[in-house]
Amino acid sequence: MTQSNSTKVMTTKEAVKRFVHDGDTIITGNYTEALPLSLIFEVIRQEKKEMTLYSQSGNMDAEFLVAGDCISRMVSTFVTKWGGRQGGSMVGRYLKAGKLEIEDYTNFTYNAMLAAGAAGYSYMQVLPAIMDTDVFKKRGFMGANKFGVTTCPFTGKTIPVVPAANPDVCLLHVQRADKYGNAQHWGGLGSTVHACLASKNIIVTCEEIVDHEVIRSAPHHTIVPDFRVSAVIEEPYGCHPMELPGYYGTDLNALSIFMFTNATETGLKDWMEEWVYALPDRSSYIQHYIETYGLPTLEQYRAKPYYSAPTNYGISTKSLWDEQGKSIEMNIDFAEMEKLIVEKGDLVNG
Amino acid sequence: MAKKYSLNELLIIAVAREIQDFENVVLGVGLPTTAGALAKAIHAPKANLMMESGIIDIDPLVQPNNIADAMCCRGYSCATDLFSTFTMTYRGFVDVCFLGVAQVDRYGNLNTTAIGDYDCPTLRLPGAGGAADFISYAKRTVLTMRGGEFVNKLDYFTSPGYLDGGQSREKSGRFPKGSGPAKLITRKGIFEFDQTTKELFLSQIHPGITVADIIKDVPWELKVSDTLSETAAPSDNEIDFIRRFAPAESLGKSLMLELATKKFLTEASEKITLP
Repeated sequence: MTQSNSTKVMTTKEAVKRFVHDGDTIITGNYTEALPLSLIFEVIRQEKKEMTLYSQSGNMDAEFLVAGDCISRMVSTFVTKWGGRQGGSMVGRYLKAGKLEIEDYTNFTYNAMLAAGAAGYSYMQVLPAIMDTDVFKKRGFMGANKFGVTTCPFTGKTIPVVPAANPDVCLLHVQRADKYGNAQHWGGLGSTVHACLASKNIIVTCEEIVDHEVIRSAPHHTIVPDFRVSAVIEEPYGCHPMELPGYYGTDLNALSIFMFTNATETGLKDWMEEWVYALPDRSSYIQHYIETYGLPTLEQYRAKPYYSAPTNYGISTKSLWDEQGKSIEMNIDFAEMEKLIVEKGDLVNG
Repeated sequence: MAKKYSLNELLIIAVAREIQDFENVVLGVGLPTTAGALAKAIHAPKANLMMESGIIDIDPLVQPNNIADAMCCRGYSCATDLFSTFTMTYRGFVDVCFLGVAQVDRYGNLNTTAIGDYDCPTLRLPGAGGAADFISYAKRTVLTMRGGEFVNKLDYFTSPGYLDGGQSREKSGRFPKGSGPAKLITRKGIFEFDQTTKELFLSQIHPGITVADIIKDVPWELKVSDTLSETAAPSDNEIDFIRRFAPAESLGKSLMLELATKKFLTEASEKITLP
């Protein structure tokens, strides 16, 4: 049942406190683009521990959560070397130190686990050639449950399958949502829809909380309906320095600094002291950015509008009665209709 | 003096009263859409009405012509697809759905496919549509029967109610706990299912109907509730809403079509000028 309306709009701090717990399986809803970094910084500030992270793009989301000692296990398809060729990655350093376990999937097989989870299936068929690879053969913490095989009842062929994934919490950043939780997102969706729908709780940060009527006028942009969403937070710059179509592009200034600091473990941890732990929330993060690098640096990445054509959801009639109170379909008014019901109807109290 | 109302209007109002605020409701076409619109307009403005084609959170202004009729409303909250609506139901996110019935047995199993021999039917009915999957996985299903019949054995088993009664639905392991038909609403009364035997029993009777009227339609010995009550009379508000929203439901389809055709032909003949 849909929760009552007023309870869903809250702060990032409150949402993370209520819906993210030590030991949870969390998933980065966004795929590379629009990473939910405001939510991730808050998870780190609240020092959540021993979590399992599902991250398709193994990007900055993973780097921060690993460096924040929040996750001990990771399911992914990609480890982005944010420290450059020499520096490597936080994920790599923690793997080497034995402080992190990883389960490697391919982009497709990872997404298939979420598609199964979203549908309520217990497993899903994947593409057969994977069986020749170490992705299939080498098993980490998921062991026998990483992949399975079954026989197609129609062709008799052997088919590899993946188990369904149903993370406890999905962290999602989108362009806009209403206060009820209808979340609208456009751009490079990747596995975002399946990541959301597979999860038990979904926390949505958005650039803008818009009027419900805005959502209703463009229902095709809603990637997750309100009754699946647990929390809604208006969080401008919620995925900075990553990009969000219509709002801002990738902040190359911030990315190069991040790359530089992430060349070493202490470098990134020092950076996080200043930019994550010392700041209470996203607005103070943006304020700190402006004070450090200047507003023009931030503003140069602001998106210049390129609007999609309006979608016409027009209907032919809003009522079967015209302004004079006459039926559009029949040549009678309401009183005449009621008379006919009494004369010819199958009355209960006639 | 109370407004006069028809059996069909009473049936729609009884169905509407099954819908509560904040429930996720799947509506089938016809009677349930009118009931849904009525509930949303009168007592459950926060109900989330959806149709299985993937149209979520509609606020109908006119009666939809089919389950993909997005023109029944001005905008809606989420446009998804049929596969997602059913998997959503399977995951347990649908609180209540409404299904029309052609044949029903004592345990709420349904036939909506064919009357007579399936291979050479006396009357071919629409088929399963969404019924079999919704009654299996919605948290609660409300059945409506306008012209159908109670039978000892279905001619075709389209959709599972409580199977052989008792614990059989739960024991099969294929259904979520607590799911299944909750009520059957007919033009004569409202039936519920015994908690232990899962057999239909009469719980409410519409005004002007006698228990004998109902018993004669049922081929087994129908149980009647010790606390049998009369269905509350509809309010003028509820009756007016139906008449404005779906005149065809109040007038009956044939009378409505007769008047509509007459209007159309009159207007057309006025426009035609012969050379």
